[in-house]
Amino acid sequence: MIVRRLLRARISRWARRRQGADQLPVGLHRRRIYILPTRAGWGFALLLFCMFVAGLNYGNSTALFLTFWLGGFALVGMHRCHRNLLGISLQAVNAAPAFAGSTSRVELTLDNAATFARLRIEADLPGMPASATDIAARSAARLTLEVPTHTRGRLQVDGLRLSTALPFGLFRAWTWVYLPLEIIVYPRPRGSLPLPNVSGMTPGTQVRGGLGGDEWLGLRNFRDGDSPRQVAWKAYARGAALLVKEYCSANSPENRFDYERLPKLDVERRLEQLAVWIVDAENRGERYALTLPGTQLPLDRGPQHRHQCLRALALFGLGAANG
Amino acid sequence: MADSAHSSSGALLWSTAAFVAGALLHVDRIPLWASAVAVGCAAWQLSSAAHKVPPVSKALQLILTFVLVTCVVFTFHTLNGLPAGTVLLVVMGAIKLLETKSRRDQYIVIGAALFLLLAACLDRQTLARVPLYLAETLLCCTALVMTSYADDRLPVRVALRLAAQSLLLAVPLALIFFFFFPRLPGGFWALPASDTALTGLGEEMSPGSISQLIASYDPAFRARFAGPTPAAAERYWRGPVLHEFDGYAWRRGERQAYPREPLRYLGTAFRYSVTLVPDANHWWFALDTVVRAPSSEASLTYDYDLISSEPVTHAITYEAVSYTHTEATEPLPETARRMETQLPLNRNPRTRELAANLRARAASDADFVRKVIEFFRTGGFQYSLTPPRLDFDSVDDFLFRTREGFCGHYASAFVALMRAGGVPARVVTGYQGGEWNPIGKYFVVRQSDAHAWAEVWIDGRGWRRVDPTAIVAPERLQRGILDILPGALSGTTRLLHTTPLFAKLWQEWDALNIAWTESVVKFDLNSQLGILERLGLRAADWTALVVALGGGLVGWLAWIAWHVGHSAGPRPADPLARAYARLCKKLARAGIARESYEGPIDYGARIARSRPDLASRVEPLLARYAQLRYGPASASVPDEVDAFRRLVLRCKPSHAS
Repeated sequence: MIVRRLLRARISRWARRRQGADQLPVGLHRRRIYILPTRAGWGFALLLFCMFVAGLNYGNSTALFLTFWLGGFALVGMHRCHRNLLGISLQAVNAAPAFAGSTSRVELTLDNAATFARLRIEADLPGMPASATDIAARSAARLTLEVPTHTRGRLQVDGLRLSTALPFGLFRAWTWVYLPLEIIVYPRPRGSLPLPNVSGMTPGTQVRGGLGGDEWLGLRNFRDGDSPRQVAWKAYARGAALLVKEYCSANSPENRFDYERLPKLDVERRLEQLAVWIVDAENRGERYALTLPGTQLPLDRGPQHRHQCLRALALFGLGAANG
Repeated sequence: MADSAHSSSGALLWSTAAFVAGALLHVDRIPLWASAVAVGCAAWQLSSAAHKVPPVSKALQLILTFVLVTCVVFTFHTLNGLPAGTVLLVVMGAIKLLETKSRRDQYIVIGAALFLLLAACLDRQTLARVPLYLAETLLCCTALVMTSYADDRLPVRVALRLAAQSLLLAVPLALIFFFFFPRLPGGFWALPASDTALTGLGEEMSPGSISQLIASYDPAFRARFAGPTPAAAERYWRGPVLHEFDGYAWRRGERQAYPREPLRYLGTAFRYSVTLVPDANHWWFALDTVVRAPSSEASLTYDYDLISSEPVTHAITYEAVSYTHTEATEPLPETARRMETQLPLNRNPRTRELAANLRARAASDADFVRKVIEFFRTGGFQYSLTPPRLDFDSVDDFLFRTREGFCGHYASAFVALMRAGGVPARVVTGYQGGEWNPIGKYFVVRQSDAHAWAEVWIDGRGWRRVDPTAIVAPERLQRGILDILPGALSGTTRLLHTTPLFAKLWQEWDALNIAWTESVVKFDLNSQLGILERLGLRAADWTALVVALGGGLVGWLAWIAWHVGHSAGPRPADPLARAYARLCKKLARAGIARESYEGPIDYGARIARSRPDLASRVEPLLARYAQLRYGPASASVPDEVDAFRRLVLRCKPSHAS
């Protein structure tokens, strides 16, 4: 298994030197599709060899014909396997940010312009299980890869492979896609320190959780961690997506989260604590600002703001590319 | 890896079905328990996958393996050879079925099914089995699709079509290789022959032994004559000659008792080829009397029999030359005379007495033969396939008590009388007659044509054939035994033989089988070279075969690459889009390619800017396209599209100067 993986990495590097980096959309043309027999394919070859020897030795016409026929069948299978991948184009790759320790979903959009359906196109990353999909003729399909994350920062994902073993499982055609694909991994939200002083109309007032306030702001998409009480069930029952009602209190509290003002914790613990506060404040519909050494994010709220704050945490101290 | 992924129930069903069908190809050759194990394990595994029964534990599987392999060893006393190997494969595959969980296991099961198919091909390659083999091939290939897809969403119809299409595309390659892949003149190693003779004449004849053969409608061999064919009464196909008599049964005897007498051949030479039906015996049959051994695989014995060195396990064909009339040129050696007049001393006393009486009244050996023939003609003998059982002294009992029997009884009694009268005589077994197949233009000789006759030595003339059965029942020679005694056969065979329509169909089927055997089953290096010669290659040899093979392979590969790749690219669906694509291609060649984001109007504008020389010709075309494509419903007017297509064809944009 180790040998396999090392070998795969080596071949992948060779292919990368040969192909160069990719740009979306990536069309799978002939020069980048590789094909080799699978283990089942090697087994089939061995079987054909036995048939061949037996047929030749005993001068058995039926066995020889069967051998040649199945050999031709396998070759047709090889061409069809190649064709199954050829001409697909990878239209988009979306890597959703994730909290460290959870799974990030990388979503691929594959487009099939051909007049025939593609069967069981698989995508995988080194050492991770593959996921597969069919693509109907003249249509597109999505494939989701789950990438486990461990530490905050930028997770560089390399060695994305699109492959197929259909129709007969005797050959596998594949291609490597070299896209600058990175996943922003937020710090793990962890920590139980109380909120720092909340400034607002009434400083020190305990913020009412859940509904957030009484001034209607609008609807937004459901996010993990939203309270069921905020969900717009009536809209959902009408067939709409799962939406969350947002309210803004007229006297919405203003949270100012400052890295420097945290007690003397180590860097990671502070970032984790800040992440907890940001997530909580966003869930409550409150406005918040984030101050990191060298970075200042003004008071605001909403998914975009949340992402920017968490991203700043994720990339904190990781070098020049922080911006 | 994806290979270890769990598989779907559809894949399990199909791979199991492929295996069971493979096992059932052998159902009439393997013990019933082996078939039952295969079907049982398949049923259990399918029910277990549906959670109806618990899966079989590892320990139980081990025990099963041990027990079943022991059973195989106990039945065959070996694990080697085709029959034992097949049963072993069936049994081991069935146990593998029980632990089939992953995709890899299913591939193994399908592999076992294909091996079973191979074993079936090695075992039998008759025409009737070909549809079964084709179906099993398709089944295995479909199972491959189902297994590699591993998801129940794939409709069976799609998988079947994929497999069938690919198999069809592979047929030309299979034919090219079949015809041109050089065959070996002989094998690397010998076939482990099964040593159990199936049917046919043996080296011993007791009263009644031939009647079992006569009840069989199976063909023994087929003969095709080049030139004249002998009359029915002359068609004696010589088989084992029996020399030793113990008072009850006749045996061939192992040793060569005397040298083969030289013969002078008289009359017409009959040239013919014989194709034997494999029966694991050593006898090659030839028209009486054959001139020489047809090939080095068989030898001509001292009593003009053909014996092969290997048992006949596949359909052998040989060419032979025979004369129905011969004459000995030398007298019978004393040792031969002694041997061929031997009788057990104190057996069949009444026969000896009768022979002595007749001999005393006969002037010569020939006269004695005539008197004995007369005795048979007038003695009230009856031809019957179900005679009463004979006593220990079988000849006495037959001649003086039952007087009812068939060829074996008459030949035995006649030879015993001859020997008792001092005339050298021997029993010859073989076949008599044969049915003419007008479609295939050959004779089918069936087991039911099995016969026994006598030969007596007449000084100055040699061994003469005397057929006492023909004296008692002369119609036996004119028509087959089935026409004389239709009761000898089972009901269905009788129906087949006596209904003209069925008989004709049967003959056609038989002729088709022979054509199959001769052109496909027996296809070998000589046939391959023959094809090349017919294609105009004089002195064809292996090199020519390899060239033909290579050419065919390259041609097929190119064709497949084209055929499969043909439909790979996105093809513009309608003629208008195709014409537009053609125009863009022409312009690209002229050095100004359309960008993927450009519409026809923008493209035209850009051409006008950068290549004013082309603009006057190209811009109206592009505008026309935009109008046809996006204007009000004009793309559906064929005339307009056709006009546009012709304009595009005529447009020849030149390269930038």
